[in-house]
Amino acid sequence: MTMCRGSCQGAGRPDMTPVYPTAGSYPDFARLVNRDTAQVDRRVFSDEAVYQAELRQIFARAWLFLAHESQIPGPGDFIRTSMGEDDVIIVRQRDGSVKALLNSCPHRGNRVCMVDAGSKARGFICNYHGWSFGLDGGLRGTDGKVYEKDESFEKAQIGLTPVAQVASYKGLIFGTFDPEAPSLEEFLGDFTFYLDIMLDNEEGGTEFVGGAIRSEIDCNWKFPAENFVGDILHAFWTHQSGAQAILGGGVDLGKRYDELAFQASVYGHGIETNLDKVGNTRTLGYPELVDYVFDLSERARARLGEVRARAIGAVSSATVFPNMSFLPGQNTFRVWHPRGPGKIELVSWTIVNRNAPERIKDLYRKGVMMTFSPGGVFEMDDGENWEYSTRVNQGFVTRQQPLHYALGLGSEDLERNLPGIVHKGSLNDANQRLFYTRWAEFMEHDNWADLQNGATAAPARTRAAAE
Amino acid sequence: MTDILDISRPFTAYDRPADAETERAVTRFLNAEARTLDREAYQEWLDHFVDEDIHYWMPDMETRNRSDARGPYRHGDSAYFDDTLSELKVRVARFVEPSAWADNPATRHLHLISNIEVYETGDPSLLAVCSAFTNVRNRNETDQDVIHGRREDVLRRHGDDFRLARRRILIVQNVLLSKNLNTFL
Amino acid sequence: MIELCNSTDVVEGEILRRDVDGLPAVALTRHEGQIFVFPDTCPHAEESLSEGWVEDGRVVCGVHFAEFELGSGEVHNRPAGCPNLTFFTCEDRDGKVFARLKEEA
Ligand code: FES
Ligand code: FES
Ligand SMILES: [Fe+2]
Repeated sequence: MTMCRGSCQGAGRPDMTPVYPTAGSYPDFARLVNRDTAQVDRRVFSDEAVYQAELRQIFARAWLFLAHESQIPGPGDFIRTSMGEDDVIIVRQRDGSVKALLNSCPHRGNRVCMVDAGSKARGFICNYHGWSFGLDGGLRGTDGKVYEKDESFEKAQIGLTPVAQVASYKGLIFGTFDPEAPSLEEFLGDFTFYLDIMLDNEEGGTEFVGGAIRSEIDCNWKFPAENFVGDILHAFWTHQSGAQAILGGGVDLGKRYDELAFQASVYGHGIETNLDKVGNTRTLGYPELVDYVFDLSERARARLGEVRARAIGAVSSATVFPNMSFLPGQNTFRVWHPRGPGKIELVSWTIVNRNAPERIKDLYRKGVMMTFSPGGVFEMDDGENWEYSTRVNQGFVTRQQPLHYALGLGSEDLERNLPGIVHKGSLNDANQRLFYTRWAEFMEHDNWADLQNGATAAPARTRAAAE
Repeated sequence: MTDILDISRPFTAYDRPADAETERAVTRFLNAEARTLDREAYQEWLDHFVDEDIHYWMPDMETRNRSDARGPYRHGDSAYFDDTLSELKVRVARFVEPSAWADNPATRHLHLISNIEVYETGDPSLLAVCSAFTNVRNRNETDQDVIHGRREDVLRRHGDDFRLARRRILIVQNVLLSKNLNTFL
Repeated sequence: MIELCNSTDVVEGEILRRDVDGLPAVALTRHEGQIFVFPDTCPHAEESLSEGWVEDGRVVCGVHFAEFELGSGEVHNRPAGCPNLTFFTCEDRDGKVFARLKEEA
């Protein structure tokens, strides 16, 4: 399309159809992850070109966490969030469904919704020239005096670009910019088996405590994501001070570690757990919560079975690829939004069972604040590690140096009847290796058939276990 | 509970300024508190500046439309601090561990306190005190975090001295522009 | 007065648009049984009020959410420069709605 040159005679009508970018293939970047030597090249944490490829290959394609259903209970309730660096509005429609809309006006691009959240919105009006959009994103009108007479203007063709697909899994709303992406359940695969530890341990499901804590950390987004996917190792050293303050001793993985602890991974999503029942809950510092989780875990056995019932409050952590993480039993729930190769915005919430007593919900709110918020005794010591793991790679020579991701090579557990790729012991780099393997798959493949059938897919043997 | 100690209530009555002597004593108290926090003497802070029934609250600040009845913060929602004395003690217990890595090597702290206003309340033992602060933390070589905000304190008279019975901390940041909050405000 | 439609066409809480020969389009609604007739053109930026809705006894413009009290036309939630809305005198006669759309001598 050419812009008007002098006389506008015969100028075409603008094509206002939403654009969903297609993926490419970046084999050179995929090779930055070496499965044979269990190594990750540091350029994945520092290189601007790699970062731009991540936005295209991962954040414009993967299903990304958007909101919890409880945050937008009624029509017109909305929150603003990010998908990668793209700003989006998540809004409940009058018919109860949820839409996600790119938060950029199709006129000059201005951000349309400027607030974090709101309720009972009638629509969204752009501050620049007053274009007005309905809850469904459609253009309702602008200025009839001006546009009524303008022939290029076809209201029905114009609106906020909808996120291509939106779907929920047990209260969690996800979206993808890729119209070709497989269903959310296919993307999560058998990892739903482990998500249910948090999301479905009781009738009634979960909800988020109101508000959110947002903070900035000058680190690459993958450091916190890999930390939650399977790095319980750091807890002993990084969090010794927090554990001492709350527990009066070190982090404890339980007496039956050798027998019970494991890591499981599906499509790069991963969980590590020690099945010690209440280890994570204990770190919140409220004995009442520990009692609550013991009881919950007892009741959940019928629903979830022995293994998952033991995992509800255990020392454990999980990441859903690429950037959503949570701690079962601890109940912090968070997203690491990328803001360039060296910066993230961390948004975190407290997740609680909807049917839990109010007192329990409030203790979780306070416990999460005491441990996993910027002033919390655990989170306090995480940020600097991730910042310097990122920042040192400014050094030209430094970023050529190898990194070690090889803990637990050869520890795959082929016997245990659990879904996913299972490794023995939670003190293991296995999930992190698989997280980066998934990352490499996204860099390499331009299609979902390859993405869903590579090395990170759960072996067929274990799929049965998820049934 | 005296209304003024209710953490969810903002001050409203600013019509009874305390006399100059009280104002000066409160200013001395706040400056000494700031100096205590600057030198990371957290146990001293608990012992000499904080009362048994302290309620120490710093909500998250949401960006909301003016017409939104919820407002930018609400007690009971997410917060950075919503602590009683026993919870403040847990935080202090971490600070003093040698492996509190975010504090070892030490952070260089500066608490600047200004805009101090002191008002009498319906209870002669309690004073309503407003102040503004600039908190600067600098670590390692160039890591610097700055937070600005306001505090609404309730001080209780203890003889010639005071103790903090309530503190509401309202910062001006929505996204905390820092990786952590290894201080008290 | 000009005949606009059957009075049964005007449904409680909904806005009906009617084109009238030689005059700007009008809108009709019914609130607590009573019929109201007003210009379809929003006095703010001339968008169509029939694409808005009725809420708490007010016509709400769907574009910038100006609210006009039914009857008096008084504007609330007023976008800059938006005047009140002028309602037409109307009558429900023998199952038909009539309205005085212009000053008749
Ligand atoms: S940029 Fe939104 S109305 Fe012009
Ligand atoms: S056009 Fe109706 S409110 Fe703006
Ligand atoms: Fe950690």
